[in-house]
Formats: sequence, structure tokens, C-alpha cells
Amino acid sequence: MKNNFEILQINLLRLFLTLSIIFLVLTLFGTSPLKVFDSIIYGSLGSYSKFIRTLIVWAPISMASIALIYTFSAGMWNIGIEGQIIMGAVGATLIARSFLGDTFISPYVQIIFAIGFGGIWGLICGLLKVKGNVHEIFSGLGLDFVASGIVIYLIIGPWKRDGIASTSGTDIFDKASWIPTIGQNEFPLFLIIIILILYVFSFVVLKYTSFGLRLKATGVNELATQRFYFSSSTFILLSFFIAGSIAGLAGFSQASGAYHKLVPSISGGFGFLSILIVLICSRNIYFTFIVSFLFSALIVGGSQLQIKLGLDHSLIGIIQATFVLSWLIFEKLKLEESLIKKLFRSNQ
Amino acid sequence: MLFFENTIVTVISLSTPLIIAVIGETISEKSGVINLSAEGTIMISALCGFAFGYLTDFALVGFIAGALSGAFIAAFISYCDIKLRMDQIAVGFVLTILCIDLSNYIGQEYVRINGPIVTKFSLPLISKIPFLGKILFNHSLITYFSILLIPSAWFFLNKTNLGLAIRASGENPIAARSRGINVKKMRLIGTVIGGALLGLAGATFSLYTKYGWSESHTANYGWIILAIVIFGGWNPYRAAAGAYGFGLLQVLAIKAQSVTLALSQILPLLPFPIMIFILVFIQYINRRDRRNFPKFILSILGGNQPEALGRKLPEDVN
Repeated sequence: MKNNFEILQINLLRLFLTLSIIFLVLTLFGTSPLKVFDSIIYGSLGSYSKFIRTLIVWAPISMASIALIYTFSAGMWNIGIEGQIIMGAVGATLIARSFLGDTFISPYVQIIFAIGFGGIWGLICGLLKVKGNVHEIFSGLGLDFVASGIVIYLIIGPWKRDGIASTSGTDIFDKASWIPTIGQNEFPLFLIIIILILYVFSFVVLKYTSFGLRLKATGVNELATQRFYFSSSTFILLSFFIAGSIAGLAGFSQASGAYHKLVPSISGGFGFLSILIVLICSRNIYFTFIVSFLFSALIVGGSQLQIKLGLDHSLIGIIQATFVLSWLIFEKLKLEESLIKKLFRSNQ
Repeated sequence: MLFFENTIVTVISLSTPLIIAVIGETISEKSGVINLSAEGTIMISALCGFAFGYLTDFALVGFIAGALSGAFIAAFISYCDIKLRMDQIAVGFVLTILCIDLSNYIGQEYVRINGPIVTKFSLPLISKIPFLGKILFNHSLITYFSILLIPSAWFFLNKTNLGLAIRASGENPIAARSRGINVKKMRLIGTVIGGALLGLAGATFSLYTKYGWSESHTANYGWIILAIVIFGGWNPYRAAAGAYGFGLLQVLAIKAQSVTLALSQILPLLPFPIMIFILVFIQYINRRDRRNFPKFILSILGGNQPEALGRKLPEDVN
């Protein structure tokens, strides 16, 4: 067994190697890595209002990431997360546009509907896996596109803006339906509290309850589930339902916190981004918390790249994906461990 | 009649890249590897194809460049899958995101400019046959290639030793190994051939059916291809039928645009629910006796999902 210090050493070394690769890639593109990172940090954390914008982006990403930890724990690939986010947003919009839309309870009812819609969408994926034996990648992908079809239909059809049928989105919600914020800069305290509750709850559930242990057993070893007399199907279903519900919350945050309306690209690709995040965090909740924030800062800071350095924002996606890919490869190559061993030997 | 003819001609030429890509992904999945990077592969090879075609002013170079870039990405997935024993789905997924952003970043210089054009090449004599001549023998060379590819892929997978070895590796690696098949090599070959075809399809988009380059030029086609492969039940003929079906959907969507906006936006998404339905049905049949089902239903909705699809090779296979 490795102790915590060794794990930290390995991870720091890996981080260093991965960042070197990103610097190399950025240099190959003819940009100055330092300038790029400088403008990203300035653009995402440079002022209070920029920090708040980062928080607004971080909210759905951190929620989707924690959602994915449940399905990854059960050994499932929840590519359907995009669809679950979208359906959560649909649930929230349904309430925001209803008679409850201009009352103060609207955001709270929206949460219930977002959780329900997202959860059911996740459950469909789980049922297809458990009852239909359909590979969750294909069903998830299919459900993503079905969800985006539903959203496009709603935006062009029943929920279209007065007189105009376009794909630019629904009418802006009534202010009462927006996620409550604090102060002039609109600090999203409400969202932050939800995130903290989710993380603490998930940490306890996954680490200290038999539910968490059984969920992990489902993912690691199907034989174990038989020997200990519990059904792995139930846990797969539960993991999809929980993941879908949390992803639904992310959709609620997107619809009522970020856009204040329903748009066709309501998920913003954050579901797929969260898959990248959870892949490198290997289900560690602390890491997920931090990495999801860093990746959100990259996104918000990346919007400054065009203005400050004349670079396209797709550079951010390249940085993120390169980071994840090289991290995963280094993890398998296990270069760091041999490097550390060599360093220690030369010290002796 | 003329309208009918024209529609068929449009469907056949619109479906050209879809056919090539679907056949490629089928071969890849038959070898046991889900090339989940299809979306990214097609996009970046569309850019590569267009860029090289533009720089050399020669479309053939573009097609070759597209195919090579697709083969390179597939080889990388294969390396991660076989040598590093990484999750092929994880690698494919990350590569999708990487390739999409990479093509958008590099492709900025090539947005909306003109490059070489692939011209129509009417086959002499037989293109004069009424009706058939017009719909089948009055296309560009890449379309003829795509049509010829369908029976060739079937022949390759079912009648050649290499094709059978690739399929065996995708069904049951351990059994294949005990018959003396080099399973790792077969997986590599299957994935790389599939990747090259995906790349060729990408180049076909940017040089022929969806001429030029713009941001996210081939968005969603890669995901649709994954759906059509399943619709095809891993059989080249049915996959091709699915691709032509989707081509028809696209034409209908364009025609529906003038009637209702909603329909034209939603029609192209139809393959996805169909994919889920087919998968449910395939698995339903697999758990029951095949003989209880009428043959025509099996041939439309059945399918042989490769047994080892998406799984890592067992440790002791070499």
C-alpha cells in the first residue's frame, strides 16, 4: 500500500509532467503559454464580478461531476448526462412558465421538478441497461439527442416567443423564478449552498455507508454482489437515478441561474466536460471539487483570450482535453513512480 | 418522375460520406473496438482533407490526408487499448473532445474559402440508360467508391481469412487466440481500417457533400454514424441502407423547412430513438430462441453484436 505522502508526490509529479505537455502544445501553436495562462487567470478571477461569473459556470459543472461519481462508482458510463442536464432544465422551465412562475416559491418547486425530470431521464438509461441489456453508451447517447430534440421542439413549438419561432430560446423567466442571489454583484449563495450540501452528502454516503460500499462493489466485482446477496441491478438503477437527479439540478442552475431562459444548447457541453473531469479525478471527491472549479475558471477566462490575445476560445477545449489525455496516459505508464524511485536512490 | 429521380440522386450523393463512415465504424466494431472518437475523427479529417486539398489544389491529396489522419487517430486508440490497457471508451471520448476543439482552432484560416472541387464523372455508355443510368452512374468518383465499398466490406468480413480473423477477435478473443490468430494485431488492423474510412468520410464532407470548412463543420454526424451502425446490426448492407435512409431524412428535412421549422430540426434526430429501439430488440432476441421470430423481422431488426465489443482484451491474450 502506498501512503498518502507517496500518492501526493506521484500526483504532483504527474501534474508537473501534464502541465509541461500543455506548455509544449501551446508553444507549438505559436502562442506564449505564460501570456495565455495570465489572461485566463485574469479573466476568471481578476475581479469580483469575474469570480462570480466563474461560480455560475462552476455550479452546473461541479453538480454534473458529482453526479457522474455515482455512475462511475457503479462501473457505468453515463454519457447520457447531457440529456439529463437538458431534461432538468426543461423541468425547471416548466415551472418558471407556469402559474407559479411569478411567486417566491418558484425556484424551490423548480428544484423538485428538475430533480424529477433529470432523475427519470437517468432512470430510463438505467432501465435500458438492466432490463434491456443495452450498452449504456449507446442508450445514453441516444437519449442525449432525444432530449435535445425535445428542447428544440419546445422552443420552436409550444414555448416559442410571441410571434417569433426561432431557435434563440424562450422568453426570459419572471424575476421571481431566477435563482436567488445576494448583493449587487449577485453572489449565487443559494447555488453554493446546494453544491456544498451535495458534496458533503455524497462524501458521507459514498465513504461511510453500506450503500456506498455496495455501489462500489457493483462497479468492481459482479461476483461479490452475488455472494453478499444483493442485486447489482438495483444499485445500477439507483446510481443512474441519483446521477440523473443531480444532473437535473445542474440543468436547473443553467436555466434559472445562468441563462434565465431555455435555449437549445442549454447544457453548454458541461456534461461531457464533467466526464473529462471525473476521468482524471478517479472518483476522488476532493479532487473533483477542485478540478471542476479550475476547469470552470478555464472556461470563463478563455472568453477573454479572443479580446486580449486574439486567440480563439477553442484553445481552452484543447488545453482541457490535452490535460485529461496526457494525465490518463501518464497514469497508465506509471513513469512517476519509477522517477521517484530513481530520485530516492540517487539521494542515498 | 423527374422530381423522384432528382431526389434519389441527391440522396445517393448526400449519403456518400455516411456510407463510408458507417462501413468503417462497422469494421472497427467487428474487431471489438468502439471507435467513440468518430465525431472528432470525422471533424478533424474533414479539416485535414480540405486544408491539404486547398494547399495542393488537388482533391485526391485531400482524400488521402483525411484517410491518414483518421487512421492515425485509430492507431492511437489501438495503442492505448492494447499496449497501455486503457479504457477504449475513455480514450475515444477524450479524443472526440480534443479533435473537435483542435479542428476549430486550426481551421480558423480555412473558414469559407474555396478549394478544389470534385466534379461529376459520368460513366460512359451506361450513364445513358434511362432512369438507372441517371441515378446510379452519374456521380463523382468518391460516390462510386462508396457504393462499391458496401459489397466489398461484406465480402471482406465474411469471405476473406483476414476479415474472419478480425471478426473472431471481436467475438471471442480467447477462442480466436487458441486457433492461432494474433488477436492484438487483428484488433489493430480492424480499428485502423475503420479509422481510415472514417477519415475518408470526413474528407468527403469537406471536399464534396458539405463543401468547404466552417466552425464545427460536421457537427453530430459522428454520433449519428454510431447510431446507424447499430441500426445496421453490424452488417454492411443494412448499415448502408440505414445511411441512405438518413440521407433521405436529410433531404426531407430540407424540404420540410419551408413548411414547418420544427419538423426540419427534429427529423435529423430520428436515428437516435430508432437506435435505442433496435438495441432493445437485439438483446430481447438474444435472450430468447431465435427460431420463434419470423425471418423477415430478424433480418430487419436483428443483429449480431460482437461479443467482446468495448471490452478490454483478457490479460493472457497475446
